[in-house]
Amino acid sequence: MKKEIIKILCCPTCKGELSLTIEKEEKGEIITGMFSCAQCHCNYPIIDGIPNLLSQES
Amino acid sequence: MKIKEIKKAVKKRYAKFARDNISYCPTCNSAKNNITKQAESIGYSANELKSIPESAVLGLGCGNPTALAELKNGEIVLDLGSGAGIDVFLAANKVGESGHVIGVDMTEEMIKRAEKIAEDNNYKNVEFRVGEIENLPVKNNTIDVIISNCVINLSPDKLQTFKEAFRVLKSGGRLMVSDLVTEGFLPEDIKKSFDAWSECVAGALEKNQYLDTIKKAGFHNVEIISQNRYSEKEMDDRLTGKITSIKVRAYK
Repeated sequence: MKKEIIKILCCPTCKGELSLTIEKEEKGEIITGMFSCAQCHCNYPIIDGIPNLLSQES
Repeated sequence: MKIKEIKKAVKKRYAKFARDNISYCPTCNSAKNNITKQAESIGYSANELKSIPESAVLGLGCGNPTALAELKNGEIVLDLGSGAGIDVFLAANKVGESGHVIGVDMTEEMIKRAEKIAEDNNYKNVEFRVGEIENLPVKNNTIDVIISNCVINLSPDKLQTFKEAFRVLKSGGRLMVSDLVTEGFLPEDIKKSFDAWSECVAGALEKNQYLDTIKKAGFHNVEIISQNRYSEKEMDDRLTGKITSIKVRAYK
């Protein structure tokens, strides 16, 4: 996952701003990390470069 | 049928498609022997198919939304239910390096497959993420064009899906979808079947209902660009003449 795309992402559950914690990065790509929503406190993991942004309401 | 159960059934079926190397749409069946042929029959040109990785073509669509979308260099495109990525890669070729294409799909196996294809083929302007089309992880007013190919019929909440599409589109942005609808209403016993739901037909709305749902979500100039009634030999008799694939354009 590339960092620049973050500016258009939001929390799928409450549409709040997401903050990103990077655990592992390779050649500008985020491999492992976590998106967190400051508003509803939902967390969304990035595993093997793929962010899981499934709404936690569903 | 509950929304969660429908989503689970759909996810399970499409996860299997993603894992299998050869797959075909069980509803229209036509790709069983030749996926490329099926893709051409629903509107992809041979040149377009040559321009993208073969593994991104699963034979599960019912149209070619990128052909309708008249994509321009630099545009940001979102594909709802991107699957193995066929339309994302086609769109990526059209919007060029300054553009960007995002594929959202709730089936993790599909996203993994698409992501690997993007990596293996060095696509720099595509992104895939696991997400639901009813709850898009995308900010308001950020997308130029939304495309979707034979996916929204699978959604248990189509109004919510179109509302989300409307929300993320920029003002003046456009929606270009290929989807299945029904001519008149389907028998209840088909609607009740889980398998039929994930085989597109039970979830498909009646044609006018489908267009009204798009309008209700806020879109204007909602227009059917083309339509094609399905008639397959192996099709369930109860469905003959009742399933139509439509290509719809609408604006925010």
